[in-house]
Amino acid sequence: MAKQLGFYVNLANCIGCKACEIACKDRKGLPAGVRWRRVYEYSGGEWIASGNQHVPSDVFSYYVSTACMHCEKPICVEVCPTSAIRKRDDGIVVLNSDNCIGCRYCSWACPYGAPQFNEEAGVMTKCDFCVELQERGEKPACVDACPMRALEYGDIEELKAKHGGLTAVAPMPDPSLTNPAIVYGPHKDVKSAHYRGGQLKNID
Amino acid sequence: MVTREWALLIFTILGQMASGALLTLMLIRAFAIRKTNVQQANRLTDGPLFIVVPIMALALLASLFHLGNLINITKAVPNLGTSWLSREVIVAVVFVVLAALYTFLQWRKLSTELIRATIGWIAALVGQFQTIAMIMVYMIRTQPAWNTFATPITFLVTSFLLGVLVVAAALVATRAIGDETQTDLLRSTLRGIAITSIALVGVEFVVLPIYVLYLSTQGASALQTMSSMFGTYTAVLVLRLLLVFVGGGVLGAYLYENAANGKERNLALLVYSAFILVLIAEAMGRFLFYATHYSIGL
Repeated sequence: MAKQLGFYVNLANCIGCKACEIACKDRKGLPAGVRWRRVYEYSGGEWIASGNQHVPSDVFSYYVSTACMHCEKPICVEVCPTSAIRKRDDGIVVLNSDNCIGCRYCSWACPYGAPQFNEEAGVMTKCDFCVELQERGEKPACVDACPMRALEYGDIEELKAKHGGLTAVAPMPDPSLTNPAIVYGPHKDVKSAHYRGGQLKNID
Repeated sequence: MVTREWALLIFTILGQMASGALLTLMLIRAFAIRKTNVQQANRLTDGPLFIVVPIMALALLASLFHLGNLINITKAVPNLGTSWLSREVIVAVVFVVLAALYTFLQWRKLSTELIRATIGWIAALVGQFQTIAMIMVYMIRTQPAWNTFATPITFLVTSFLLGVLVVAAALVATRAIGDETQTDLLRSTLRGIAITSIALVGVEFVVLPIYVLYLSTQGASALQTMSSMFGTYTAVLVLRLLLVFVGGGVLGAYLYENAANGKERNLALLVYSAFILVLIAEAMGRFLFYATHYSIGL
């Protein structure tokens, strides 16, 4: 099998500090509104009235840090009308902005919100896995910035061998749609990708 | 809905109207030739034929407004292997070129009738392929509100409904007054158009409830579509159904009756109002299509 680079996100260790997101924005000089890496807060559950007080029953909350999944079946590459997005031999999905006409079709197709529109340039942009840093033997900016060591990157098969095979959690979509190159370390309250009882919090 | 989706609304509605109109005109010609002769068929459809290319040109112009960067078009490589959007663009351009060629040859009566008719039918087929490409663009597996049987049916219905009604309007506008053969042809054509219109409105009213029931089984994103359709946009949905019912159904029935009885006086007014009402209704339907879709996932 061809090499496929991917991310490992340890949900148990992520504290939602968003250092990864800011390191990415800083490294890539992203304008306001464009967030190649995003940290989602997912929570749910209820409080139960017991006598004159309320107690938590199944209340849960955890963070999911997400960037481009560099999918094995990237739907963005499939639908792009101008061949501006392609998959490299190492599995990284890259977007050449010079070929992009800004039709934004990829953003309709991607279930992870990875391709994002740069209003000023009129073209789409997306996570390139810090290719330039990797070529120098350095880590991607997000991985390097994580104070909890919750992010790792590398060959997806090696990551799966090391951390287990959890490839989908709520609120992420069914992984069979695009085969994302991702492995999660489970949080104690993690929900399956089919779970619909929670909500994204503090989005803005 | 933002500017770029308005551009897509205009592009898909006008593009489908243009391809529906050319197919309708080719069918009317075939019918008129069988009933009378080529000269009479020419007199009936040569005028209305001029509407196809301007409508399609306007559609293509509108489509440019949904692009963020036009300069890069020169550097772009078509992705015909996997991208239906790429195919749609190519087919739309081929369609407008072929339609323009056919209109020009027919206008100047260049070449032979057989060659002209062949080019006309090829253009009409390419027009249908354009509608198919438009359908496939929205059949993406991460968009549950779009990736259903309703997208092909409603796109085709919109195309035929607007196609027959815009042709009806053009036929009435360019009709030869005081010519009995032409008047007869026009009357029977309008009767056919009225029946088609009523049937297509019927299809819309059958598809909608089945689509809604289907959505209710398709998970969280599809449920969001439903609550948006019956929450935020209830008024748009109700008005859209009312307009298409009155325009395509009720006025369609009146049109059939008036065309059969030879009541010329009301004909033009009926046809124009039916077309305008259905155009507004279909544009509203397409607005809902774009305004109520939710992607799977984030």
